[in-house]
Amino acid sequence: MICPSCCHKNLPGDEVCRHCKQPFALFDLPHPENQVERSVMYDQVKTLKQHPPVTIGEKASIGEAMALMTSSNVGALLVVDAEGNLTGIFSERDLLKKIVGLENGFAKLPITQFMTPRPESVSTTDTLNFVLQKMDAGGYRHVPVLENGKPVSIISARDMLRFLTRLSKEAGERGASTS
Amino acid sequence: MDLARNLKGETVSRLYPSQPLIVQRGQPVADAVKLMREKKVGCVLVCEQRRIVGIFTERDLLRRVLAQGLPVTTPIEECMTPDPVSVHPKDSISCAIRYMQKGGYRHLPVVIDDKPVGILSVKRIVHYLVEHFPTMVYNLPPHSQPYQPKREGA
Repeated sequence: MICPSCCHKNLPGDEVCRHCKQPFALFDLPHPENQVERSVMYDQVKTLKQHPPVTIGEKASIGEAMALMTSSNVGALLVVDAEGNLTGIFSERDLLKKIVGLENGFAKLPITQFMTPRPESVSTTDTLNFVLQKMDAGGYRHVPVLENGKPVSIISARDMLRFLTRLSKEAGERGASTS
Repeated sequence: MDLARNLKGETVSRLYPSQPLIVQRGQPVADAVKLMREKKVGCVLVCEQRRIVGIFTERDLLRRVLAQGLPVTTPIEECMTPDPVSVHPKDSISCAIRYMQKGGYRHLPVVIDDKPVGILSVKRIVHYLVEHFPTMVYNLPPHSQPYQPKREGA
């Protein structure tokens, strides 16, 4: 690749210009055109409201998981191992798809048999477009947020909806006041 | 494309709400669960002579059936949410979003004269919002790390 800054000819596949150290990855990024796009591209996951995730140990049974979901009023539990690392997610959808009407006496069965193992996740420093991409392309309703493999928050589709509508409303108001 | 203006101006019908799944009043919960599982959706509408009388979602399944220890043969009207908040196809998208956020709902029935014609989910709305800035969301590498650890190739 020929460096756009100093015209040095680099080997194909170089990430940084060998002459002027200009990083090339930036040239491929799209250019945000308004406040909403800018925010989606540059704001990090930690700017969203952090929900402390509801976690449950790997040894728990379905009955315990259901009780925890009802008492904490959430739709998804993060399943963690003894060190606190995320190993799976157990949501209302798992309950619907794999358990109700198919298994008898499911309350005693282990959660590891029914959870979705190794869910897609993001880290706190990822930008919001990664969250949206995972949610929209993967069809997930909940995306766990990890820090060093340990869950620190969870983002739901409704959180993203709230964030985007607030942003577009603010942008709309600003646009109306300037024009 | 101005997102704020589109939200106000465009109607719910522009989102092409998905076809509603319908169970009749008096059917057992098991029927609803089977239907939801087959169609891979999280909510069914409960109707009586084609008029909507309630909504039954995954959350109801967990809270009102399983947590209470009811059998799956319970008639659906005992554990549905009666008279759900609904939208008309001509309502604006921002109006639908406002209802969802106010009530904390994940699904809104789309209704004309008490007859259900569709279901609007929060995922569909997120998808609609994402369509307004496709390059920001769809043109992304699989990892958030901008650099490869080493050069590709042999």
